[in-house]
Parts: sequence; C-alpha cells; structure tokens
Amino acid sequence: MTAPLSTELGRRAGGGPAAVELRDVSRHYGTKHDLVRALDGVSVAFAEGSWTAVMGPSGSGKSTLLHCAAGLERVSGGQVLLTGDDITAADDAALTRLRRSRIGFVFQSFNLIGSLTAEQNVALPLKLAGQRVPARQVRQVLASVGLDERRRHRPRELSGGQQQRVAIARAMVTRPSVLFADEPTGALDSASARQVLRLLREMVDRAGQTIVMVTHDPAAAASADSVMFLSDGRIVDHAAAPTAAEVAERLARLEA
Amino acid sequence: MLRLSWSTFRERWQLFIGATLTVCLGVALVQSSLLILVSAAVGGYVEAIALLGITLGISAFLAVFIVSSTFAFTVAQRRRDLALLRLTGAARGQVRRLLLSEATLLGLLGTALGVPLGLLVMRAQSWLLRDLGFVPAEFAPRWQGWILAVSAGIGLGVAVSGVLAASRRAAKVRPLEALRDTGEAARVMTGLRWFFGILFLAGSVSLVIVSSFAGPEGAIPLAVNAALTAAVALSALSPLVVPLIGRVFGVALRGSTLGGLAQANLWDGVRRSASTAAPLIVLVALLLGQSGTLLSIGEAGQVEQRRDLRGDLVVTAQGQTGAASVPGVDVAAPQLRLPVRTTTTTYEGDGEYETEADNVDALVVDPAAYARTHRAEPVAGSLTRLRGNTVAVTADSGFPLGTTVDARIGDRDVPLRVVAVLPMTFAGGSMLLPVDAVPAAVAARAPSETIVRLAPGADAGAVRGALGEFGEVRTLEEWIDQSASRQQQVSTGIMTVILGLAGLYALIAVVNAVVIAAAERRREFAVARMSGLTRGQVVRLALLESWAVAAIGLVLGGLAGAGTWVGIGAATERIAGQSTIVVPWTLLGVVVAGALLVVGATSVWTAWSATRARPVSLAGAAE
Repeated sequence: MTAPLSTELGRRAGGGPAAVELRDVSRHYGTKHDLVRALDGVSVAFAEGSWTAVMGPSGSGKSTLLHCAAGLERVSGGQVLLTGDDITAADDAALTRLRRSRIGFVFQSFNLIGSLTAEQNVALPLKLAGQRVPARQVRQVLASVGLDERRRHRPRELSGGQQQRVAIARAMVTRPSVLFADEPTGALDSASARQVLRLLREMVDRAGQTIVMVTHDPAAAASADSVMFLSDGRIVDHAAAPTAAEVAERLARLEA
Repeated sequence: MLRLSWSTFRERWQLFIGATLTVCLGVALVQSSLLILVSAAVGGYVEAIALLGITLGISAFLAVFIVSSTFAFTVAQRRRDLALLRLTGAARGQVRRLLLSEATLLGLLGTALGVPLGLLVMRAQSWLLRDLGFVPAEFAPRWQGWILAVSAGIGLGVAVSGVLAASRRAAKVRPLEALRDTGEAARVMTGLRWFFGILFLAGSVSLVIVSSFAGPEGAIPLAVNAALTAAVALSALSPLVVPLIGRVFGVALRGSTLGGLAQANLWDGVRRSASTAAPLIVLVALLLGQSGTLLSIGEAGQVEQRRDLRGDLVVTAQGQTGAASVPGVDVAAPQLRLPVRTTTTTYEGDGEYETEADNVDALVVDPAAYARTHRAEPVAGSLTRLRGNTVAVTADSGFPLGTTVDARIGDRDVPLRVVAVLPMTFAGGSMLLPVDAVPAAVAARAPSETIVRLAPGADAGAVRGALGEFGEVRTLEEWIDQSASRQQQVSTGIMTVILGLAGLYALIAVVNAVVIAAAERRREFAVARMSGLTRGQVVRLALLESWAVAAIGLVLGGLAGAGTWVGIGAATERIAGQSTIVVPWTLLGVVVAGALLVVGATSVWTAWSATRARPVSLAGAAE
C-alpha cells in the first residue's frame, strides 16, 4: 500500500491557514527500551469548514491524534498549529484560554456535569471564561440541538442521545474554530446516533464548522466529508466522501 | 462558582456531610475543652488543668488531622469531576478557588453546627471530670463570649488549611484525566507525603528520646506527643505499606477469587485505603501509647515500692497511731497524707514578681522511723535534719537544697527550709515534712499509713491482731498491690478524660472515611456484579478490603503507640532501676476487635446500600 505521509483533507477555502495542522507529529510512551509509538511522524492539515473522520483499528493512535491536535497531550516531536498558531509549547494558561474560545470537545461518554441542568452545563464554559451569559444565547444553542424544552433537566433525566446533544451544545456555545469529537455516537442507539450525525452535518454545512471526529462506526465516518485511516501511528489511507460500505471494506483490510 | 459548589454539594452529599461532620465535631471538642480549661484555671484545679491541657491539645490536633485528611480525600475522590471542569475551560486558579470556597462553606456550616454541639460536649466532659473527681461537684464551666470567634476561627481555619494542599494538587489535574475511566492519580506517594512523613518520624524519634529522660510528671504528655507525631508520620507514609499488607492478605487468602480481587482493589485504591486508615492509625496510636505509658509508670512505682520499703505490715488509719508501743513491733513509721499549697515567687525584673501556686500531697513523717523503713538515701542533705520547719523534696521538684518553700499548712503560712533532696520516684509523694512542722489538730485528721517492722521472733498473727485496734491492717505486699490498683483507677480516669471524647471523634472519622470511600464505588460495585459477582459476594469483597484497611490502621497505629513505650522503658530503667514496659493486652484486644467490628459493619452496611439499585442502571450511567 502506498501510504501518503502528508495529507491534506477537505476543501480549502481561500487558501487561508488550515483550522488544525499537525506537522510531523510523534507521540511516544514508555521507556527507551519499551517504547510505544502511538503517533509516528504524522502530518495532516484539517481545512476550515471540513468534517474529517479518523478511523483505524484499536491502538492505531486515533485518540492520541485527537488529544495531541486538541492540546490535551504534549507531543514528543513535531508541531501542532491551530489556525496557523503554534500551540506545541503553549503553557497551561494558554491552553485553558484555547479551550474556552477556540476548541470544543464532544466525547463518547458525554461528560456532562451531573449536578448541573442542561442549561447550566451549556452556560458553564462561558461562565468559566468570566463572561456574562445571556440566557437567550444559551437557549438558542439548546434550541439548535432541539432541546429547548428540556433545558431545566439534569443529565440523568435525559436519554443518551439527548445528553450527547447537550454536550454538543456546550461545545458549540463558545463558537469554537474546531470541534473535536471522540466517538460521539459510540454510546448511542442507531436512531440517536443518526440524529447526532445529522446535527453535526448541519453545523458543517450551515455554519462552516470544522470537525475532527474519531470513530469506529463506518456509518458515522460516511457522514463526514472525508475519512483518514490510521494504523500503527501512521496515516495509511484516506478517502473523500466514501460510502459506509467502502469505509467498512477499507477498515477490514487494515485490520486483517 | 459558588453556584457550582452548591450543586456539587447536593450531588455528592456523602462527601460533604462527612467533611462537615468532621469540622463540626472538631469545633465542638476544641471549644468544650477550651471552655472547661479556662474555668478550671480560674478555679485553680491544678490536676484538672494539666489533664485538660493535654485534652485540648489532642482535640486540636485531631481536628486538624482528621479534617485535613478527610478534605484531601474528598478532593482526591473528585479528580474526574475536576478534570472535566478543566476540559470545559476552567483555569487552574478556578479549580483552586472552587475547592477553597467549598471548604469555606463547609467550615462555616461545621462551625454553625459545632458551636451548639460543643455545649453538649462540654456538659458531658465536665460530668466526666466531676464523676472521676478531678474537679469538685459544684464545678460548672462558664460560657465565654470570645469562644465564638475562636470556634469560627478553628472551623474555618482547619477546613481551609486542610484543603489548601489538596487544592494545589487538584489544580494540576490534567484535563485528559476526565476521559479516562479511573480518575485516581497514579502517584500517591507525593513529595509532600515524603517530607511530612520523614519530618514527623524524626520528630517522634526525638520525643521518644526526650521522654526517656523525663520524670514521671513529664512522661505522659511526652508519650502522647510522641504517639501523635508517629501517627502523623505513619499516616503520611502509609501508601508505602498498603501494598505490603495487600500482599499478606493475598497470601492468607490464596486460591480464593474474592481474596485475589480484594488484593487487586487494595493495590488499585492505595489512596482510598490510606485515607481510611489514617484516623484509625491516630486512634490506635493514642490509645496504646497512652495506656502503655500509664500502666508502665504504675508498674514502675510498684517495683520501686517493693524495692524501697522495708516492713511487714501496714496500718491504714487517721493521724498518728500508737502502733510503736505494741509488743513485737520493732519500728512503726507513720506517714500522714496532707495537702499543702506551695507558692513560688520569682523575680521577673523591673520590680515585677511572678507568683505561682501549686497543690501537692505532702507526707508527714517521723524522720528516724522513715529512714529505717525506706531504703532510698537522699541524693543531697540528710533526713536527720528534718526537724521543725523543714522539708525534704524530690529531685524533680525544682527546689534545691537550702532554699525555702513557702507553704500553707492547714490555715497557717509556714516557710520550710529544704534539708534533704530525695531521688525522683514514680510512686509519688513529692514532699516529706517532719511531724513537728504540722499543728497537732491538722495532723490528727489526716489519713495515714503506718509501715510496721516486726521485731525478730515476734508472732506476726498476734501483732496483727493487736494493731487492729488502730485501723485496717494489711501485709506490706497486700498494701502495695492495693495502692497499685488505686493508682490504676486514677490512670483509667485520666485516660477517660483525655481520650474519651477524642477517641470517639477519631472513631467517627474512621466510619466517615469508610462511608465516603464506598459512596464513590457504586459504579465499580455495579460492574463487579455485571461480571458475575452476586450481591453477597460484592458485600463480602468490600468487607475483606475494609478489614485489610483496618489491619493497616491497626498495625501502623500499634507501631506508633509501641514506639512510645521505648521511651518509657528507658525512663523507668533510669529512675526505678528496672526497665518496666507494660503492654496493655486487654485494651489491645478490645481495640483490634472493636476496629474490625466497626469498620466491618460500616463497610457491609455501605456496600449493601450501594448495591441496592440494579447494576445495569449504574454501570451504564456515565456519571
């Protein structure tokens, strides 16, 4: 297989800097003698307004790639750029500011704060950033994920799909330049999963949101603009707008 | 931020109720001990003051220790929540502020509850003091307005300072930890733990060394301090010991699946185990350290008396007896017990004098007969000069030979010249007065013992019968045993006053830690049940683990307590000439059984209620 080492994904609008760019990024774990290369010289640029799915077998480095790109993990080598700014060596305060304004997260396990209502969860990032939180803005965002009615409910009173939509609303309330999603449909039934994917699609199409999404699910990957395949910490393949069947077939080849 | 605190408060009430409870009890105990101490000082009840000083010290120590360890534990338990906040954009400072504002809230709440509770505790404590005779029956501690400020300071102070270090560590939580299932930090043996562990270990070793040079008076507070510092040291170092005990359990329960699982859980939850064990370590160290010291001192006094006294019979009566004139009696040495108030005046400079009063139990003796029934020789001066307004003191009294002691005997002020200095003793009796220094009327009312030596060849039975008309007659051996058992009653009284409520506090803290630990394990229990364990097996697993943790507390606490016995062993060797260490086996047994019972029952109860819901509903829930 001819594995392109450097990959550019998605449409480039006007030739500006990519929303996120990884340059020759490596991430190693363990000791010198027992080295695990979770990422091994990965270069990739995620263009603004694009939705990219990252796929690969278990242990291929998908999650590590996401964490490194989002500044949650330090890279062992290489550079990470967020809309052209190098965040590789950013300190904790700078990364905190990034999380408040330019990066949003959605996870498989929702990670809502159980003691807060949907509304309070959504407002939390703005509050933490010390901003005034207009109730209208919060309601608007909740309405955009179809949960205006349930804004006073706590997470445990919501279904999995609803919780995930609250989590998406929370990620979107700061209008981040990139939304990182780690298996966002992993814990959902197929109907809820479809709803969440439709929501993400709308965000990309209507607002030009950039999304980087790690997933196992070929159907989820097929909703993205393009799919990137990882294996053993390297990018080994990519496909633009594939069908679920194509994705499944390529994945099966990788896992074989 | 406060809104967030409040909603977390509602969500994780076990954590917060537990933390508030520790603050509340700490405030109550310190406030009560302080109020009683102040009242006792105003009333001049010397014995009670010394006791209450130690009680206050222990209460304050326990409040700081238990509150800070509980708060640190609750912070550690919430690591994942805090990481989630960081992920949502909270800065480090915000995490710290959140925790500190929570601590302030809990501190205020604990104080508000602790102040009224303190009044109840004060009632209980002063009843105890009256009942054990350390203060007169009419003693009633008085409320002081300023105590509110002190209590609030303690409540807020211990809560905030308890969370200070923990919040700094918590602020370093990496956001990524929110994404991992286990929130527990890998490194439990932090630099701070090493630092305090080694610092306090060194402190307790030096206290043990100092206590080996102490007299009987200083030995008790020193032993208590040594036990406390050792307890802090070992609690700080306890994460090192947890895996060790886990291994012992693993070997003991080899082949059993539950045993293996319990061992693995201990290994995995080092911090949880260490936190649960911490109050138990202190409790056991205090109980064993103190009772061992008191018993050893009592035993050493007995050894001393056996060695020092030369006599056959002892007559217990009032005032002087005519025992000397009974046929067959060689020597009859009366000693009258007489309370004497001494005042010491020291010049402070600038025309200021500082006067200190002290109540002592003096023995009024016939110097010649005393010398013939006691082997101990004065280290300075001579008993033959004990005539008129003179006194013999022990070496630790602080009065050198030739100085004058201002004493009040009965209703008369008498200056007494020190003519002899006796060696330090555990048996008590710090001052000897000659008979002619005391008015006859006062002497006649004083309780007395007369040590009788029989003439060679005298009929012991006949002499005993004849002495019966003066008072109760015992053999010397019987009398020593009896005074030892009286001494032991006093010791038990001291133990009860000092450790009664403080011990209860520590015990509640143990239960508290077990409850907090279990509350956070609902999901883990649910997962265990989904993987095939029955509810009964989960409960048994929790019981096994909690016993392992109790074992850690008992072993380390026992170690800390036993360490203090080394000092008392050396002190008794130096003073009584024979190293005497009495291990309080009964108490040890009660403590071991009690700890296993209390910890076991709590963990069975909490595990049972934590597994009440169907496992599926919990294991599925992300939060």
